[in-house]
Amino acid sequence: MLITWGFRIRNSIMERIDPRARWIFSLAFLFSVTMFWDARFLLFFFILGFGWYSLAGVKWKESRRAWTLVSIILFTMIVVNTIITGGGAGGIVPPGGHLVWPEGITIPLFGWTIDFGLTYERIWFAQCQILRIVSISAIFIIIPFSMDPRLYGVTFKGLGFSDKLAYTMELAFRYVPTLARDFSVTLDAQKARGYELERMGGSLFQLLTRVAPLIVPVTMNSILTGEDVTNAMDLRCFGTHPRTWLIKLTYHWSDFLIIAVSVVILITSFILTTILGVGGFTVPEWFLALFGVV
Amino acid sequence: MEEKKSLWKFGTREVVNSAIGAALYGVLSFATNFLQLPSAGNVAFRPAVAIPLFFGVAFGPWVGFITGFFGNIIGDLLSGYGLWIWWDLGNGIMGLIAGLVANQITNYRDGKSILKAELYCALGIVVGMGVAALSEMWVSGADINTVIYFNFIPAVIPNLINGLILVPILMVAYQAILSRSGR
Repeated sequence: MLITWGFRIRNSIMERIDPRARWIFSLAFLFSVTMFWDARFLLFFFILGFGWYSLAGVKWKESRRAWTLVSIILFTMIVVNTIITGGGAGGIVPPGGHLVWPEGITIPLFGWTIDFGLTYERIWFAQCQILRIVSISAIFIIIPFSMDPRLYGVTFKGLGFSDKLAYTMELAFRYVPTLARDFSVTLDAQKARGYELERMGGSLFQLLTRVAPLIVPVTMNSILTGEDVTNAMDLRCFGTHPRTWLIKLTYHWSDFLIIAVSVVILITSFILTTILGVGGFTVPEWFLALFGVV
Repeated sequence: MEEKKSLWKFGTREVVNSAIGAALYGVLSFATNFLQLPSAGNVAFRPAVAIPLFFGVAFGPWVGFITGFFGNIIGDLLSGYGLWIWWDLGNGIMGLIAGLVANQITNYRDGKSILKAELYCALGIVVGMGVAALSEMWVSGADINTVIYFNFIPAVIPNLINGLILVPILMVAYQAILSRSGR
């Protein structure tokens, strides 16, 4: 089995930004955008999110899989729930509103009339949901493709995590190729004994019993290997002194600027929504006027 | 004299086991991505979910949490699905709660211990996936029905099936290596 990270060097602007600044921006963006339901503010975040996304230089072909997942989430959450069943407004859209089909929908040939409670307010809310989810996705989808996996440990250390936690992350990333190789070796060994993982069908229990001969030896072998690593680390006095890191991260002026912008966005969003009461869900008059309901 | 296990200890052994658990969870999630639930839409069947639960049961709540949290991040990074922090957190909580049973288990083959572990794993799955699913209300503005039917149930049921079947198998195998290595 070939394990490859989505990251590769693209010489993009994003790669020049300090990963700590990137995390601060991404989290500030997430917390800020979730304070709003007003489409005008969400549009600002949408533009900001895709501006940020474009800095990574990630091609559509690479991120297609992630966007497919987002599309499925959007479909189930918005089309099925907000638009069709009407439950998905989450208490944000006030009850009532202007019905799209006040007389119900008449099915041709049969003459049946179905009461469909879709309102223009819910349609507007659905597009606000799309703006919000797609903006957040744009920020988080690019991380695997544009952040070097070797930097996660030192980044988390730089963000204030303990040495042990940061080292755990570093170690985990370095273990991935080894474990992938162990997995392949075990799979080949089991196949040589007549094991057929790919054979689908059968009950859920049968499916699981087919997976167990693969998972159990790989897990146990890893735990045994871990004992040797623990002993080696103990012998080198791991955890008794602060660690030094192979890669050093240095902030540049542009990173400070990104952090400052992130903080400003977060604080402004808080003041606007919590203190000034701006940014809640509203349907613009022009949207209702488009359909002649006001 | 038998040494009493400290539940919240995070020493060298826990660092290494967390790293191994996270890498294992990430790799196995990625490797078994092609398994789909028969007649259940696009719900991936992830036997790897047993890893954070088992690592929690065997090595404690911190190891369980880190295995679930970092492991899900690694799995997402490998699959190219992007990064969904609130689901990573849910996976971490799942391992953390399963890990609360760690210091009550002395023999991993004992029926009573397995039952206890199963209860904590089930609780971990329900709470962990509950937190992750509920966070969708905050992020996406979905209502409680959407969250329950589209996020919570499709995540909890396969995880319960995988976890409750595979964790005892892993526990029995772990007891075998403990006995053989004299630990």
